[in-house]
Amino acid sequence: MTFPYLLDQLVNGLILGSMYALVAIGFSMIYGIVRLINFAHGDILTIGAFAGLAAFASADLPFPVVILIVLVAGAVVGMVIERTTFRPMRGSPQVTGFIASLAVSIILENLAIMILSAQPRTFHIPAYLNTLVHLGSVSVRVIDLTIVVLAIVLMIALVTFVRFTRIGIAMRATAENYDVARLMGININRMIMLAFAIGSALAATAGLMWGAKYGQISPLMGALPGLKAFVAAVIGGVGSISGAVLGGYILGLAEVLFVGLLPPALSGYRNAFVFGALIIVLLVLPNGLLGRNQETRA
Amino acid sequence: MLEIEDIHVNRGGTHAVRGLSLTVGRGEIVSLIGANGAGKTTTLSAVSGLLRPRKGRILYRPDETAGAIDLTAMKAEQIVAAGISHCPEARQIFGNLTVTENLRIGAYLRRDAEGVAKDLADIHRRFPILEERGSVPGDKLSGGEQMMLAIGRALMSRPKLILFDEPSLGLAPILVEQIFDILEAVRADGVTVLLVEQNAAMALDISDRAYVIEAGEITLSGTGRELATNADVQRAYLGAA
Repeated sequence: MTFPYLLDQLVNGLILGSMYALVAIGFSMIYGIVRLINFAHGDILTIGAFAGLAAFASADLPFPVVILIVLVAGAVVGMVIERTTFRPMRGSPQVTGFIASLAVSIILENLAIMILSAQPRTFHIPAYLNTLVHLGSVSVRVIDLTIVVLAIVLMIALVTFVRFTRIGIAMRATAENYDVARLMGININRMIMLAFAIGSALAATAGLMWGAKYGQISPLMGALPGLKAFVAAVIGGVGSISGAVLGGYILGLAEVLFVGLLPPALSGYRNAFVFGALIIVLLVLPNGLLGRNQETRA
Repeated sequence: MLEIEDIHVNRGGTHAVRGLSLTVGRGEIVSLIGANGAGKTTTLSAVSGLLRPRKGRILYRPDETAGAIDLTAMKAEQIVAAGISHCPEARQIFGNLTVTENLRIGAYLRRDAEGVAKDLADIHRRFPILEERGSVPGDKLSGGEQMMLAIGRALMSRPKLILFDEPSLGLAPILVEQIFDILEAVRADGVTVLLVEQNAAMALDISDRAYVIEAGEITLSGTGRELATNADVQRAYLGAA
C-alpha cells in the first residue's frame, strides 16, 4: 500500500462522511425535539437526488441554484411529513411514531417506484464538476471538493443558527421542555416543524451529493445510507448535532478504510461492519460519544 | 386585573379544579394557599394557557375600557404577549441553555432590543450572580440561583401580571426570606402578583388578600391578616395546635 493510495482513501472517507454527517444531523435534530427516530429520513435523500436530477436535466441551471432547489424541496417534504403524520401523533407512545415513520418510508419508496419506475437512472453532472483538481499528491474532482466544502459550510451555518440566534435558542428550549417553552411565548409547533424542515433540507442535499458523486440514483437509494446515517447519529450520541457530525465522519472514514485497507475478500462485508459497529457502540456507550442521558418525552 | 369565574379544569384525567372563582386587583399580591394536590398549579396552568378549562371563564384586565380579554380561548404564547408571565413550579430552568440564554428566552416575544437590553441590565443589577455566571449552563446553578434565574426570566417579558408557583419550595430558610423580599419588590415595581404557596405563613404575611383552596374549590378568602388569624387556617396550614 502506498501513501497516495491511503490519502485517496482518506479523501473518499471524508466525502462519504460529509454525506453521512448531513443526514445524521437531521436524525439527531428530529430526535432531539420530538424524541422520534424518523426512519423515513433516509428517503428524503432520494427526494433530494431526484429533485437535483430534475433541476439539472430540465433547465441546465447553475449548480448553486440546483443546491437551493434541493434544499427547499427537502424542507417542504419534511414539513409536510411532520404536519400530516407526526403532529397528529404527538403525545402518543414513542413506538407509535416509530412505526408511523416506517410507514411513511414505505409509502415514499413505493410512490417513487410508481412515479419514476424502479430503474436506476444515470445522474449526469455538468462537465466542469468532473474536472480534476490537484491538491498536492491527490487529485480530486471539483464535485468531490464541492461536497466537502458545502457540507462544512452548511454545518457551520446550522451550528451558528442554533447557538446564537433567537430562533435557535427557542428551538433548544423547545427540545428541552415543551410546556416551559410555551410559557416563554414560543410556538412549539412552529419550532418542531422548523427542525423537520432543516433536517430534511440537509438530508436532501446529501442525496444530491450522493447522485453527483456516484453517478446513479434510484427510488430505493436512500434506505441504506439513511440507516447508516442513523448509525452515525447513534455513535455520536443521538440528539446532539456535533455528535452527529462527529459520528458521520467517523463512520464514513471507517467504512472507506475498512474496504480500502483490508483484503478485498472482506470488502463485501462493509455493511456488516457498519452495523456491527452500531451494536458495539450501543453496548459500550449507550448514549454515544457526545450524547446526554435523555429520558423519554413525558 | 384578573377574574377567574367558576372554572373547571381537568388535569391528567382527574377533575382537579371544580368551580373555582377568584379575583386579583391591579397592583395586589394575592395568594392561593392549600395542600399538595388541592389544584393550585392546575389553576395557574389554566390562566397561562397550558391547560384549557372545560367550563368557566378567565378574564384578564376586566377593568380596561378596551374591554376584558377572555384568556380561555387563547394560546399560551398569546397570553404571554398579553402581559402575563408564569414562573413555574420547581423553577424549570432550561438546563442546556446558559444563564444569559435563559434570561433572553424570557424576552422571546419582545421586539424592542433596547428595552430588552435595559431589562437585562436591571435584572443583572438585582441579581449580580446571574451576570457573573452568565455563560454557565442553567443546570449548573444552585437551587437559590436557579430561583433567581426563574424570577428574572419571568420578568424579562415585562409582564403586568406574574403567576408564581411555589417559589420557596426546596430552598433554605434564609433564601426563602430573600425570595419573598423579591416578590414584594416586584410588586413595588407595579407588577401584579398571583402567588401559589405551601408556605402559608410567609405567603399570608406579604399578601393583600388570599384564598384557601381545598380539593379544587375555594373554601375561604379574606385579607392576608384575616386568614393568618383564622383558627381553621392556623390549624390546617400554619401548624398551630
